[in-house]
Amino acid sequence: MNQDINIKTLQKNCFRQSKVPGVFLLQMRVPGGYVSAEMLEIVKHISETWGDGNFHFGTRQTFDVCGIKYQDVPAVNEYLEKYIKSVEEDVCGVDMDLIAGEKVGWNPKAGYPTIGARNITACIGNYHCVCGNVNTFELARKIEGIIFPSHYHIKINISGCPNDCNKAHLCDFGIIGVAEMEYHPDRCIGCGLCARTCEKGSTRVLTLNEETGKIEKDTCCCVGCGECARVCPASAWTRKEEKYYRVIIGGRTGRQTPRTGKMFLNWASEDVVLSVLKNWQNFSAWVMNYKPEYLHGGHLIDRAGYKKFKEIMLEGVKLNPECLVAEDIYWHETEYRSNFNVKPLSLHHTAGPQDKK
Amino acid sequence: MSYRLTQNEADAVFAELLKKFDIYAPHRHVCAGRYSDDDIVKYDKVESLSDVEYKKKSDYPMKEVISPIQQALFYFTEDEYRESKVSSRPILIFARPCDINAQKIQARIYAGNGGFTDSYYERMKDRVKYILMDCEGGDDNCFCVSMHTNKTDNYSLAVKFHEDGSLFVKVKDQDFDNYFQEIKEIEFEPEFVNKNELKVTVPVIKDHETLNKLKAHPMWNEFNSRCISCGACTIACSTCTCFTTKDIIYGDNPEVGERRRIESSCQVDGYTTVAGGISYRKTAGEKMRFKMLHKFHDYKERFVDSDMCVGCGRCTARCPQFISITTTLDKMSKAIEEIEKGEV
Repeated sequence: MNQDINIKTLQKNCFRQSKVPGVFLLQMRVPGGYVSAEMLEIVKHISETWGDGNFHFGTRQTFDVCGIKYQDVPAVNEYLEKYIKSVEEDVCGVDMDLIAGEKVGWNPKAGYPTIGARNITACIGNYHCVCGNVNTFELARKIEGIIFPSHYHIKINISGCPNDCNKAHLCDFGIIGVAEMEYHPDRCIGCGLCARTCEKGSTRVLTLNEETGKIEKDTCCCVGCGECARVCPASAWTRKEEKYYRVIIGGRTGRQTPRTGKMFLNWASEDVVLSVLKNWQNFSAWVMNYKPEYLHGGHLIDRAGYKKFKEIMLEGVKLNPECLVAEDIYWHETEYRSNFNVKPLSLHHTAGPQDKK
Repeated sequence: MSYRLTQNEADAVFAELLKKFDIYAPHRHVCAGRYSDDDIVKYDKVESLSDVEYKKKSDYPMKEVISPIQQALFYFTEDEYRESKVSSRPILIFARPCDINAQKIQARIYAGNGGFTDSYYERMKDRVKYILMDCEGGDDNCFCVSMHTNKTDNYSLAVKFHEDGSLFVKVKDQDFDNYFQEIKEIEFEPEFVNKNELKVTVPVIKDHETLNKLKAHPMWNEFNSRCISCGACTIACSTCTCFTTKDIIYGDNPEVGERRRIESSCQVDGYTTVAGGISYRKTAGEKMRFKMLHKFHDYKERFVDSDMCVGCGRCTARCPQFISITTTLDKMSKAIEEIEKGEV
């Protein structure tokens, strides 16, 4: 079959190439992995009309419809208008006319304008989960308009608690809901259940002092999971009303140097997380000499170095008083090939604005 | 005499009452629940009517005002000691019939049981007068009607909160007449719940032989895998009175400190531990059996006229494992039936 298809253009349009020439997979964004069930009707219609009748849950919580033929892409895009407007504009308040903050203008009949910033994933969070500390998909919806539409790549995973079921440790910018705990000794019956629970399932920061019958806490090592409040029979432990977040950066999978992310911020307020993320476009643009190319967010941090990342990401951010920032980060990577980073200088990547030569 | 107070009038009366009384009421603590973003309602000293959570039944019982989870009994220095002091100001408590009736049960245990009067309980109880809160049927865990605790006449004022901020008040205790002198009288009588969704029949254990067979019945084994023995049920209980004492030493001088009383629970480890380290009830099933028989047999055996339960349903509501006290009572009835038929 003679087909002339610009797969790069289709990719930016969120259609992914398949093994079969001319057949594509559509990735529909689901910010925070949470959407009204009526959206399934749209997925069903696309799949049954233009796809192979099935759909796959994308690994980043997208609705992936397989088997879409190249010639049907315009029709699918036109039909997607309803979904994109509902999910992106109505639910997340995204301005679809902006790309990375610049006025470009969106043709609502032409589908997704960018694929760079990936779908924000989230666990169900405190909307449902007994362990969750924050409403994860509401946060995802607030972030969506900051990072999308944009050609700059970033993967954001949100977990409602430090159990990190949604793997904030394995993406560019992982966000974990943490609870600052308050202890009310006058309500404590000294049963020690919190201490046993912390020992068994968390960081062993609580001890029952047999002399006083009260709990002592090693505050510096508390991960803010909130398990003590969950198990206390007398509400002697409670969460503060304010919500806090831990930000883990630079985690990734991949063929070269997979690694677990490291802590960038701890006890950051929602405002801080959002204002830090507003600097992501600037940071990416700076690293790539103001030319967006397909490069994973974590690699951008490597190219710039953590200290440059920190400098740009914290620009204009007013940190809440509780917020702690990593002074430095020491990565621990899996080097599939030993001394992976040792190579001729000519193979080194550049970062930042390059002078014309 | 009864009145309908506008919000401003109600606030003014409340402010006047505050001059004389310490006022306690159910109060909503935002996001302080067991799970994130859930609130908790517990009794607190309140400063204004808007502090009173009148819609939701409190998660923790009113008893906390009178017998707090923790209190200092006395302070010691070498061979001297002195009792802890409490304010002499009288106390007003916003309470529902279940919580008010629970005090009859608590008083029996604290004041007079075994020929001993607990002065720490007594000195609090003597300061208390009640403001009866209207209860529109409670929630789906309530079974006060089955326990005959849905009504009370032990109150000084009765109030009903209206959505528009106004307040219906009945003044039963003439000591309070002068707070309402400027206000026009109306007809208002507090209404009591006379039907709950949940109905329970407390089983009758007719003799000692049945009791012993019930103790040995396999029904209790279920709790070994279900109940986590956290004690949330007893902390939430309106009637439970168990406490332990602990001598707290201040700093590094063992001659100075206080004796403290802390609420205890028959469900938690250590409750039956005696000298030598032996525990009498080790399994969750044994602890649950003790609690159920204590509440629905032993208490009545001793005090005759009621069980040790007012049907507030807080134990069921607070149980993280969804163990229902009413379903457990039904299981007891079924076990007794089996015993009486000679099946077990």
